[in-house]
Amino acid sequence: MSTQRMLLGLLGLAVFLVLFPIVLQAGGGGIALASRILVLALFGLGVDLIFGFAGLLSFGQAAFYGVGGFVSGYLLISGTVHSTLLALAIGTAAAAFAGILIGALSMRQVGVYLAMLTLAFAQMFYFLDISALRNYTGGENGLPGVPRASVLGLHFTSNHEAYAFIAIVYFIAFAIMWLIVRSSFGHVLRAILENPERAAAAGHDVYLYKVVAFTIAAAYAGLAGGLLGMFQGYLPPDMFTIDTSGQIVVIEVIGGPGTLVGPLIGSIVWIYLSQVFQDFSAVAGLWRLMLGIVFVLLITGFRSGIAGGIILWIRGMARRRSAVATGGD
Amino acid sequence: MHLIEAQALNGLALGAILALVALGLTIVFGLLGFVNFAHGALLMVGAYAGWIVYSQTNHFFLAMLGALVITFIVGIVIERVLIRLYYARPKQDQILVTYGLAIILVEVVRAIFTGQTRLLSTPAWASGIVNIAGIYYPQYRVIVIAIAAITLAIIYLILFRTRIGLIVRAGIDDVVIVNILGINVKRTFMLVFALGAAIAGLAGIVDGPLLAINPDMGTDVLVQCFVVIVIGGVGSFFGAILGGIVAGEIISLTTAFAPDYASVMLYVAMAVVLIVRPQGLLGVEGRA
Repeated sequence: MSTQRMLLGLLGLAVFLVLFPIVLQAGGGGIALASRILVLALFGLGVDLIFGFAGLLSFGQAAFYGVGGFVSGYLLISGTVHSTLLALAIGTAAAAFAGILIGALSMRQVGVYLAMLTLAFAQMFYFLDISALRNYTGGENGLPGVPRASVLGLHFTSNHEAYAFIAIVYFIAFAIMWLIVRSSFGHVLRAILENPERAAAAGHDVYLYKVVAFTIAAAYAGLAGGLLGMFQGYLPPDMFTIDTSGQIVVIEVIGGPGTLVGPLIGSIVWIYLSQVFQDFSAVAGLWRLMLGIVFVLLITGFRSGIAGGIILWIRGMARRRSAVATGGD
Repeated sequence: MHLIEAQALNGLALGAILALVALGLTIVFGLLGFVNFAHGALLMVGAYAGWIVYSQTNHFFLAMLGALVITFIVGIVIERVLIRLYYARPKQDQILVTYGLAIILVEVVRAIFTGQTRLLSTPAWASGIVNIAGIYYPQYRVIVIAIAAITLAIIYLILFRTRIGLIVRAGIDDVVIVNILGINVKRTFMLVFALGAAIAGLAGIVDGPLLAINPDMGTDVLVQCFVVIVIGGVGSFFGAILGGIVAGEIISLTTAFAPDYASVMLYVAMAVVLIVRPQGLLGVEGRA
């Protein structure tokens, strides 16, 4: 892929990020929904790197989301740190550090064993949050009072400004992730996905690559967690739960693993559908059931997810230009 | 004075249940290669099934039987409709589909019974206090240990002393060869999946009086069982039992002495086992 095409892609993303809340509002969603979608899409970028590119299925990403959120949120609430960016950076670094620890313990494993281990370690973080560390984390009550972002004299206080801040961070994080998957590091990860033995035989330290990828994914989760606190002003303990870990996996699978836009499409579909199902009174109590069924049907029938499906479809159209509606079916 | 002994007994009751649930998980994993993320949800289904029977008949053994039969049937249906489509697919798809299945089971139960917590009273004949070597102890917990021990013994006999068990164990080692020998492996798969579900269901009703019954009750147990399996060794019969007892004791004893760390210690123990002996206490190298 040429640099020119990448710049064009990023331009397209920028335009999308500007128009997205407007389109979403026309479709009955609010600006807060747009922010929530972008936070999960950012979280999902990390999951995409480890699952979509390296084939590592983690059910424990909530641990890093929570660590990033609570560390950066606590620093701001307690007044230890006044700078938004510094708090986000420390939260992200803390999540990355947790990623190194869990990654070092889990990355020799693959498949089911890896999924079990990451899930169990995330559960450990959840219990630390609600019991041993509750004086810092607020325990079951969570932490209220996270201030809105404020950078270089700019205060992102209104909901629209908060969205703008999140969109800027997401844009930069997306560009960095694109560079990562295009780099030789990204290519080795794909080689590991294709054939770990051959990658090892080619002289690559497979374990080390996996730990580094896992750490990057943890950092992305941590950054997303920090942003969540800033836009909703509150850090809920359920950031750490299995539901959070599972939800981000579902989003990744629905959107399309291995395509960087997959997590974005997945979060739009997942969050928007959950909103629609909840608003539609006849099925209000059944929205999670509906989503569960949609999820099972998708894994059973459409293995490449929505983004993957669209890409295959475009290729199948024999290069005929076709306008594909963003987030369409 | 007798706090340690009493907590140790509590740990044994908890551990017995965990061992039972983990064994169901490990049998299905051993033969089918599935880590069934819906195993906890099946436990929850068993608890509800038993609760219905118990509230209708007021008979605890009928409730246990009801939980067993209903989860066995649910297991067969699930295997026929969904699971069999996944035998040839990557492990990750199997994890994802059982995770999705868990969501569906939990939400179906929530839709039918609401999310409200149900209480299952201890049957009258089991609600006394027993005196074990000077320690006064709830009778029901002793019965839990007994039920788990009997069930584990029965599963052991089935797996290691019957022809079906022989087929299952042979299938774990090499499905293709067993197929070539003319044995209907597909049907064995179905029965093993249903057996795993029934074990979870039984554990659910037996656990009922100790826990609150609600749609989400299976999640914690599922994660604890993953820890049990990691500690004990993936695919090991006695590993599941040892891991269950170790986990039960850790939870129970830290609850007594450092309640803030009760849930955390279990995962610390798992990390230690992983570092010292990655294949688990009784696991075989390269089994995962």
